[in-house]
Amino acid sequence: MATARPGWSRRAQYGLFFSFLALLAGILIGLILLAISVLAPDRFATIRGAALDVTGPVSSSFHSVTATVEGVFTGAGNYWDAANQNGELRRERDAMQRQIMQARAIMQENRQLKAVLQLREHEEKAIAVGRLVGSSLSSTRRFAILSAGKNDGVQIGMPVRAPEGLVGRVIDVGSFASRVLLASDRANIVPARLLRGGIPVISQGRGDGTIDVRPLEVGRNPFKRGDIIITSGTGGLYPPLVPIARIIKLDDDGAIAVPIADPSNISFAVVEPPYEPTAQADTP
Amino acid sequence: MVRAALATKRRIGQGPRPLAAFVPMMSVIVASLLAALPIITTSGWFPDFGFLALVSWRLLRSDPWPAWWAAPMGLVNDLFTGLPLGLSVTLWSATMLVLDLVDRRTQWRDYWIEWVLAAVLVTIDEWLQWRIAAISGARVPFMAAVPPIAISIFVFPLSAWIVSRLDRWRLGR
Repeated sequence: MATARPGWSRRAQYGLFFSFLALLAGILIGLILLAISVLAPDRFATIRGAALDVTGPVSSSFHSVTATVEGVFTGAGNYWDAANQNGELRRERDAMQRQIMQARAIMQENRQLKAVLQLREHEEKAIAVGRLVGSSLSSTRRFAILSAGKNDGVQIGMPVRAPEGLVGRVIDVGSFASRVLLASDRANIVPARLLRGGIPVISQGRGDGTIDVRPLEVGRNPFKRGDIIITSGTGGLYPPLVPIARIIKLDDDGAIAVPIADPSNISFAVVEPPYEPTAQADTP
Repeated sequence: MVRAALATKRRIGQGPRPLAAFVPMMSVIVASLLAALPIITTSGWFPDFGFLALVSWRLLRSDPWPAWWAAPMGLVNDLFTGLPLGLSVTLWSATMLVLDLVDRRTQWRDYWIEWVLAAVLVTIDEWLQWRIAAISGARVPFMAAVPPIAISIFVFPLSAWIVSRLDRWRLGR
């Protein structure tokens, strides 16, 4: 279609014209698909899941290669000053053991108090464990690909966490892989509270790997640098007491925080059932 | 290509590769599949590889594929990169149409004009992604989309170079 008229051939002219019509049809179909996927995002769940199954295993297999290469280099680095590290680890272990003893005592006390109050204890059970094997590379949305899918029992809407802290929630699911909406995505709003003092706050991603935290009640800025934000369990989707982020900078009425479970650093992620089973239906 | 036709040395026994007509399309799909690389980024500043490949091919030649193929290729890109379904379908088809119009209007073209065209198209692409994200509940300041736009613009010459090498390879030149 470089020139307006390809010559005197009727066939070529018609070919050009029909190609133009097909192009217009393509734009039209695209607009319709776009409208549907903006207005009813769950409509294409099946086909998106199938696409995940195509790319997920590829990412997983490459991931083991990159992980091995990285492991070799960090492993070599660790041998470099093994003696120093050894002494440091020993000191840390002793300190840990003292803390563990304290924590055990506190847990026991806690259990007794809860029994007195007759609180129902939620048992935490993992549905599936997977690795984060990829992420959205080129948009302001923050997704990650998890190497566990429908076959492992993962369903859309389930919360995902790492041993370190909260990762996000599942939004697309294929047979072997699923897509996770990270806590640093703008659309992921997590009810949370400040670990120090328990002030209720709202955590919302900023799309660039950091998280916005705002207090629920307007007033004095309650944050300090280094504060830890944990989930509150409000809303029933995310389990309570999971660390989300650490505050690095204050602004006018809130603060900016970085996720504690850095998606590029965590070794594996655990998919858990929604804290309150009814909450899953509300979050597409 | 005109310059290749003017070249004096024609080696005998060299012609287009088998399936040469499908090489451009395949290369765009491979570029879309780069989104499956096991890279976990917290900022999302990587360029939109599929779109860059599409624009590079279309700026190099007016006929890398029948224009309407842009729609199915866009669908593949949407599925693999996790963009809202239909965004690339629309944008890629519209890009083909716009570049056809540009071809008609411009009397001559050089590398700078192609780079400017690519820069404008990439900016529109990122702006549209940002806008759609805002509509579907992820409104961030537009400044967050500026670094990826700049990176994409500077990656375009590289993409154009790879595509031109690929074009010469597939035509056996």
